[in-house]
Amino acid sequence: MVPKVVYEFFDELGMISYFGWRFFKEGIKPRYEFREMIRQCYYVGYKSLGLVALTAFIMGLVITIQSRPTLVEFGAEDWLPKMVSVSLVREIAPVITALICAGKVGSGMSAELGAMKVTEQIDAMDVSGTNPFKYLVVTRVFATTFMVPLLVILADAISLYGGYLGCNIRGVVSWQLYWNQVYETLSYGDVLPSIIKTFFFGYAIGVIGCFKGYYTDKGTEGVGKSANAAVVLSSVMVFIIDLIAVQIIDILNLT
Amino acid sequence: MDNLSRNTKLGIFVFAGTFFFIVLLYFIGSKRNLFSSTIDVYARFYDAEGLMKGNSIRYSGINIGTVKNVAIENDSTVLVTMVIQKQVIKYIKKNSLASIGTDGLMGNKLVNITNVSEASETINEGDEFKTLKAISTAEMLKTLSVTNENVRLITDDLKKIASKVNNNNSLWNFLSDTVLGNNLKQAIVSIKLTGDRTAYIAGDFSKMLNDVRDGKGVLGALLVDTALSGKLNQSIVSIKMISSDLAVVSGDLSYITKKVKGGEGAVGTLLTDTEFVHNMNKSMANLNTGTQGFSENMEALKHSIFLRKYFKKKQKEKNPAAK
Repeated sequence: MVPKVVYEFFDELGMISYFGWRFFKEGIKPRYEFREMIRQCYYVGYKSLGLVALTAFIMGLVITIQSRPTLVEFGAEDWLPKMVSVSLVREIAPVITALICAGKVGSGMSAELGAMKVTEQIDAMDVSGTNPFKYLVVTRVFATTFMVPLLVILADAISLYGGYLGCNIRGVVSWQLYWNQVYETLSYGDVLPSIIKTFFFGYAIGVIGCFKGYYTDKGTEGVGKSANAAVVLSSVMVFIIDLIAVQIIDILNLT
Repeated sequence: MDNLSRNTKLGIFVFAGTFFFIVLLYFIGSKRNLFSSTIDVYARFYDAEGLMKGNSIRYSGINIGTVKNVAIENDSTVLVTMVIQKQVIKYIKKNSLASIGTDGLMGNKLVNITNVSEASETINEGDEFKTLKAISTAEMLKTLSVTNENVRLITDDLKKIASKVNNNNSLWNFLSDTVLGNNLKQAIVSIKLTGDRTAYIAGDFSKMLNDVRDGKGVLGALLVDTALSGKLNQSIVSIKMISSDLAVVSGDLSYITKKVKGGEGAVGTLLTDTEFVHNMNKSMANLNTGTQGFSENMEALKHSIFLRKYFKKKQKEKNPAAK
């Protein structure tokens, strides 16, 4: 006898996997929904930028201020830009951005699709000859997959600027020296893997958000539930992907 | 209109993201000399000491390139491939030395390029630097501990010497004696005078030597005249011949003397046989008497009738004026 929880877990995992695969299957086929896609990109990317920028800036500043005492203890205060830039670019900016997107975009998608589902708009769309999966899901997943990396790059830039300000609160590091040290420290092995993994973050956020919305049931109550579940699951997924990514990066020796 | 502005905003967003990404990649790449024109040069080390791809190359403390590759070449050497910016190669000589160092006390490893003072051409693509074995901290500390031990021994000795000097009055007296100083001064003056004279004499001597070299004087002639030396040679050869003859003669003489000493031969007998000498003496005496008698006989014969005429005639022939 398999416990019900385990059964449900594998059932859902299988459904999400199929949902994710369906994105590619339907997305490749012609009749692309460009207009809707751009609209979704606008919502996911541009509309999230303010929030992402604020959190990235604060993270850069805070990490710098927090790291300073430890480095001062070692007498390695001038390593602050190096250390901060590596930790921001490799880990903090991608993960923070992905979590913000999971919270803001994932829940929004889930709620939107859930509401459409419970008001039977999706079924109506199906009847009217528009492929609802193509129009609703493919565009959204595409938007998150390609907008999250862009957000991460901007978050990198903004958080590094926050780091610069953080360095100059107690110490003095000139603008030139700061960026020199940052570029000196960073390598392609730091930047590229951390950008590549954000495509997977974005994909996971989009797929989970859409899946939870697409299969909402139990009326309006279910909309809130699926929005909540989407945020939780996609946040956890972000960390799981991060774990897998760091293993791959380590195996490939891209340090 | 609303749609267009939305698209524009998205466009700006995408452009900004892509722009920052490209800027990031460009600056990282330019720090690793991916975009500036460069040349590859090599250096072989016994020990890479943890040098990695991407470490800096420094010349006079300025970053001029990066390490492109570190590979084990064989069981004793490591080949380090370095990328150096083209704009600085005109300052770097072929005979420069490469050594592995550390940025600060605990920082990243780096390769230092040091010029040597000798002139040389500038480096080109594919050249190899000579390398210097870097000083390892452990070795440095080992040497330092030996040095410290030596310093300790030396200072101990110095301390002893200093205390001895302090407790010794004679040295202080020696140092504080003014008369001694004056004497020393005078002595030095004398030495100087002597030295001057010596120099003068030496000058003379040198002049003399010059004369000799030029063939002046007997000594000069001896040394310089080749004809004379030929003659001298001949003389020496003659002397040699004479001396060898003399040796033969003296050998004969010694033989004869030996014989004589042994009493052989007439002379030997003469010298050694005492009886013979006695007889001889006697004979001589007899002979003496005999001769006297003979002389008398002859005188008597002169006066004899038969022979007087002959003697008179002889007298006349000999001395015609005596008549």
